[in-house]
Amino acid sequence: MNFFVLKKPEEAGMSQEHELASFEGMMLPHLDAAHNLARWLLRNEEDAQDVVQEAYLRAFKSFHGFHGSDGRAWLLTIVRNTAYTWLRKNRAVDLATFDEEIHTPGCEAASPAAMLEQTEDAEAIRGAMEDLAVEFREILVLRHLEGLSYKEIADIAQIPPGTVMSRLARARARFKQCLADRLGKEQ
Amino acid sequence: MNCKEVIDLVDAYMDGELDPVTNQNIEGHLRECSRCDHAFKEHQAVVGAIGAVAPYHKSPAGLRERIQSSLRDQIPQSTRGVARGHQPQVPKKRRHSPVVLFETPWNWLGLAAAVILAVLIVWNLAPLLRRPGAEQFLATQLVASHVRSLMVDHLTDVASSDQHTVKPWFDGKLDFAPTVVNPASDGFPLVGGRLDYLDNRPVAALVYQRRKHFINVFIWPAETSEDRVTKAITRQGYQLLHWVDHDLHYWAVSDVSDNELMALRELIEKQTAQR
Repeated sequence: MNFFVLKKPEEAGMSQEHELASFEGMMLPHLDAAHNLARWLLRNEEDAQDVVQEAYLRAFKSFHGFHGSDGRAWLLTIVRNTAYTWLRKNRAVDLATFDEEIHTPGCEAASPAAMLEQTEDAEAIRGAMEDLAVEFREILVLRHLEGLSYKEIADIAQIPPGTVMSRLARARARFKQCLADRLGKEQ
Repeated sequence: MNCKEVIDLVDAYMDGELDPVTNQNIEGHLRECSRCDHAFKEHQAVVGAIGAVAPYHKSPAGLRERIQSSLRDQIPQSTRGVARGHQPQVPKKRRHSPVVLFETPWNWLGLAAAVILAVLIVWNLAPLLRRPGAEQFLATQLVASHVRSLMVDHLTDVASSDQHTVKPWFDGKLDFAPTVVNPASDGFPLVGGRLDYLDNRPVAALVYQRRKHFINVFIWPAETSEDRVTKAITRQGYQLLHWVDHDLHYWAVSDVSDNELMALRELIEKQTAQR
């Protein structure tokens, strides 16, 4: 029995080491994805890094609950939640204004032809993305920069799959409006 | 399909998220309606620019190391020897000197208590986080363990049909006393027992025979808060039966029928109750 008591902490330590190694092996490969999402949601490099670090700590604490195969989606969900918590606390104004319906575009203000010519304009596209409400930025990043399916997006953003479709359509329409606005100002 | 319906679905169409029939309907419409086709192509080009042109913010230099170092801080200092080798050294405070720990055996008990407490907390919280994926994962582990036990000539660590030989064998190897019975007269002779490792803990595996088939019965302690529903699962052609009795988890795994596992369960419960 003595043996058991003496042995226990070391065994626990080793298994924690083991768990950390396995956590890092599964989650660190998705660091770029985590950082990219946080950076887009927060629009600020320093805040993004803090949120990513916090998200990794949170993820490690609940890692024993992760038995799935999709580490990226699992991690991105935590990054997303951490980012929203951070925004609520530090920049509630970013979250306050979002209403799915308000952002529905009325009419197509932009001339599509003018936009087509500008699709190489990285600065205008980045700016138009950053003009969007955080929920729209989020869904465009998950779809276009991570290439995730509607199902995966629904899991990460915690919305029904049907909402993914409509929100994505609205986000794109709104993005086109913002892009047109920026191009209009430039000219 | 009219133009309005097509426009409503065009984003999902572009993303390849529609069922084949709707997909074909839209394709058909776009072939016939040049206005919609034109609008679709423009939409696709502008939206496609997001993926092609918008910056992908890769993780900057140093963030990875920062995260690794903060993760290391989550692990108790005294057990971090292995990890320290392969990470950049960041100045950090030591909470305890390990030397002091070795000199005071009571700290070991305290540490052990803390570890056991942590395990209990995790064990209690785990069920909230781990359904249903965890259960499937466990079922896979159980089947794998059963198959391995038959494959590599490692069915038993202690081969005996005498439960009074098998049961004491587990003493000191586990922190609980597994139930060992020998319902040989009912057609389930005990073959032996072995140690196994499942669900992140050492468990007892008792092996019973049913005609030419072997049944692994895995046993480990259950928490009072866990649900006690009996479950029968089929996985990869194996039958699994789970029940909880006297605060122990039982998982019987075999290629025998469901009913035979039920029969074994009754025999185990009956013989346990007699004591």
